[in-house]
Amino acid sequence: MIPAPDLTYSWAQALADLGQIAAIATLTGFFLFAIVTDLVLPKPRRGGAVAIVAVTGFTYSLGTAVYRWRFAQGGYAYHQFATGDNFALFFEILFATLGILTVALSHSYLKKRGMLESEFHILIMAAVIGMMVLGSATSLVTVFLGLELLSIALYIACGFSRRESRSQEAAAKYLLVGGFASAFVLYGMALIYGGAGTTVIPEIAKRLDASAAGNPLILLGIVLMGVGFAFKVSAAPFHMWTPDVYQGAPLPVTAFMSVGTKAAAFAMIVRVFAGGLPHLAPEWQALLAFVAAASMVVGNLMAIAQSSLKRLLAYSGVAQAGYILIGVIAGGQSGLAAVLYYLFVYMFMNFGAFAVITLLAGADGDRDRFDDLQGLAKRSPLMAVLMSVFMLSLAGFPPSVGFFGKLFLFTAGVSAGYTWLVVLAVVMSVVSVFYYVRVLIPVWSSSTRTDRLPASISSSAVIWLSGLAAVGLGIYPTTLLIAGQLGATPISGP
Amino acid sequence: MTLTTIWLLPMIGAALIAFMPARFAKWMGVVVALAALAVAADVAFSFAPGYHGYQFTEAAPWIPQLTIFYRLGVDGISLWLVVLNAFLTVIAILATPIKTRNVSRFVALMLAMSAGLAGVFMATDLVLFYVFWEAMLIPAYFLLWIFGEGERPDRAALKFVLYTLAGSLLMLVGVIGEYVATGKQTFDLATLATLAPSPSIQFALFFVFALAFAIKTPLFPFHSWLPDAYMAAPTPMLITFAGVMGKAGAYGFLRIAVPLFPQPVDWWDWRWVIPVLAVAAIIWGALMAIASRDMKLLVAYSSVSHMGFIVLGIFALNVQGQQGAVLQMINHGIIIAALFLIVAWISDRAGTRDRSAMAGLAARMPVMAGIFFVVTLAALGLPGLNSFVGEFMTLLGAWQRAPVLALFGAIGLVLAPVYMLRLFQGTMQGAPAGPVPRSDIYAGQLVLLAPLIVLMFAIGLDPNVLTNLMTSLGQVGLAR
Repeated sequence: MIPAPDLTYSWAQALADLGQIAAIATLTGFFLFAIVTDLVLPKPRRGGAVAIVAVTGFTYSLGTAVYRWRFAQGGYAYHQFATGDNFALFFEILFATLGILTVALSHSYLKKRGMLESEFHILIMAAVIGMMVLGSATSLVTVFLGLELLSIALYIACGFSRRESRSQEAAAKYLLVGGFASAFVLYGMALIYGGAGTTVIPEIAKRLDASAAGNPLILLGIVLMGVGFAFKVSAAPFHMWTPDVYQGAPLPVTAFMSVGTKAAAFAMIVRVFAGGLPHLAPEWQALLAFVAAASMVVGNLMAIAQSSLKRLLAYSGVAQAGYILIGVIAGGQSGLAAVLYYLFVYMFMNFGAFAVITLLAGADGDRDRFDDLQGLAKRSPLMAVLMSVFMLSLAGFPPSVGFFGKLFLFTAGVSAGYTWLVVLAVVMSVVSVFYYVRVLIPVWSSSTRTDRLPASISSSAVIWLSGLAAVGLGIYPTTLLIAGQLGATPISGP
Repeated sequence: MTLTTIWLLPMIGAALIAFMPARFAKWMGVVVALAALAVAADVAFSFAPGYHGYQFTEAAPWIPQLTIFYRLGVDGISLWLVVLNAFLTVIAILATPIKTRNVSRFVALMLAMSAGLAGVFMATDLVLFYVFWEAMLIPAYFLLWIFGEGERPDRAALKFVLYTLAGSLLMLVGVIGEYVATGKQTFDLATLATLAPSPSIQFALFFVFALAFAIKTPLFPFHSWLPDAYMAAPTPMLITFAGVMGKAGAYGFLRIAVPLFPQPVDWWDWRWVIPVLAVAAIIWGALMAIASRDMKLLVAYSSVSHMGFIVLGIFALNVQGQQGAVLQMINHGIIIAALFLIVAWISDRAGTRDRSAMAGLAARMPVMAGIFFVVTLAALGLPGLNSFVGEFMTLLGAWQRAPVLALFGAIGLVLAPVYMLRLFQGTMQGAPAGPVPRSDIYAGQLVLLAPLIVLMFAIGLDPNVLTNLMTSLGQVGLAR
């Protein structure tokens, strides 16, 4: 029996609801302001102004989220369609930071490549809003809303290099595959809705108990949603789009989506599976365990053969998705905290790596062959050191964040009894060292190139910040891990 | 804070020296390394023998959620390795030619590697141990690759790193497994030694830990990275790389594998498997050394043989064997450093490393020949020099455990004079032939070798200075 909806809605309630999604609302306000800025300003000044508006918006949004984390009480909003709990706030902080990094990195890149700037920043803002919605969604409807908002903005961003056929190909491919994935997710949601009679995730958790495991339609719903989610986190065997899209899309977009889409999709997986289907855990855990194993094997093996840095990092991203899934499968507070920690630090190491490659780009296109890194140690010793930090961190060497992320994920995995998955992850990590270190060979090899590497202040700042975070959050991981635990609490319980 | 200084000082020094102009780099490096040595020596002088437990302990919560602590401490085993590491780092940086390309980077990486090694020996928290263990690979990789010799140093470096990582990443599963399996949620080594999980879990954990240590040591048949890596490594690096880093594997056996997993499973008793592998390493290494014409390769294989003695001593599981093993770690560190230096200097003067291409060099460089002779005698274990005591103690321990192990191990003692004396006689004595060396040993090089030679005699004549302090053990599970 579904209770009749409560249609009384007061101003006080409206304000409280808005408070729960304050970070999203703030960013949306700035998003609209950015569009207006773009319309009213004369053409040459638009780009810079919109970039400033975007960074300001992200900063305010970040500040709002941090403020609410410290001082506000999280709770449901809009009849349990969204929430401002710690889990949501954690991702709002992550995505706002990512937005700042992206805009700061792309400013000089767009100028160099002669791309439209203000539109680019506005798209990034839209995508970030979509990601934040995903993080705070507690209804399947809101989940889908966030998913589409994020995806559609990125379809356009991928094709942003309008004169490059490869970029167009990437956009078309991403659109088609992404559409498929959305359809899968939607079909799965429909089946779950059919079984539970509600789209509200906490309600689903109450209504679908372990007996639902006998219902083939529910299981099909889990599988279909799982497939769609796997597409979005670019996990094998649904990763085929990733290398092509990463390679074709302009570098800042690749950097942005490699981190943002993945984190948002993981937020979605945790919300829907861990939050909505806790009684069906054995079913979706088995599915995700298969996906995780496949991702680690396929991603790491395929990355070895790549000659393009973008493709290499794409496959590395597939493998990393596999590692992170271990934490999701392990679940509980320690598992989810490990996932949140890893996603946050993955932002710095992966974005940093892409940011260094972005510096190499010329006016005619991205330079992402191994040879393009040749002589980086001569051209800019500090960038060479930072690139090494990112690669070694991705490979999981201590004392970088990559190691501690893996330590937390693997500890959760072994504690939950998934030792075989952890052993597989460890074996594949050895493989991964091979290709991550291979990237460093051209960086440190002697070379005839001695021209200085051009780096704008904002891009250098992005790379420096990422590098310091990639080491600093490793040497002192406690605070971020506590934040991860607090963020995981709304779903896993204390 | 004393122990922290020992690893943090070289680390900070490395970060600063990396960006210094070339002409200051070497001497700044020497100053930093000497400072670290001074601190280590101070620890050794105020060390209390016979004390049960770690000394100079430091503990601070690091990641409280997983009860990971920043815990440092030394006992009679680790103390001497810390001192050896600090000492050989000084020698290694002094031995660095000032004209090395990118000398500041070289010195910085050397200091970073030394810092990692010091951390490995001083960490008493399993995760902290692992962090240092892995972190020291990074400078080692760059040193081998960027400053390596030979055709493809990059391949040797990658082979070394991948081999080591294959073991040590599995060890990470062991670290986590130990944390989960003991059920006490602690990484403290002293506590873990009192909490043994069930034998079947012990077997799995011992296996992953032992694999990592066996690769690092290296133990037969996991040694195939070693010839490539030692051939590629530049000589100053070899002093700490062969002299200290190899000991990290043996130290791991002694500190972690033996005390933490004391009960073997019946069908696969590692208390016998590992000694057999050690004996195999002793003989195999010696035979390969006999067959090697390249002098550097010969010394590298002799190292495999000597490491076999050390592991044999550890797995004698009695006081003589384990004290002998630690003593032998120190001895081997000193001897191998001297050998690699001398071999490098000879081949530098002769223009080739092929020992069959030269003869009668003693006539041209008598001082070098004299020094070489002393080191050769030390390496083959002549009584009165340091190696004799260590090898004798390990074999005595092995005899008490099982005479057959000692008998087969003693084959290595017989073979050592074969390859060492053939190397010395072949190159130094006889009628002069082959390339004509440019000069005898330089005064600077003599000064560099002097402390090593003095130590060979000192330890050989009075090893009790070292073994006295070894009576202080930090944890249960080791033979007292």
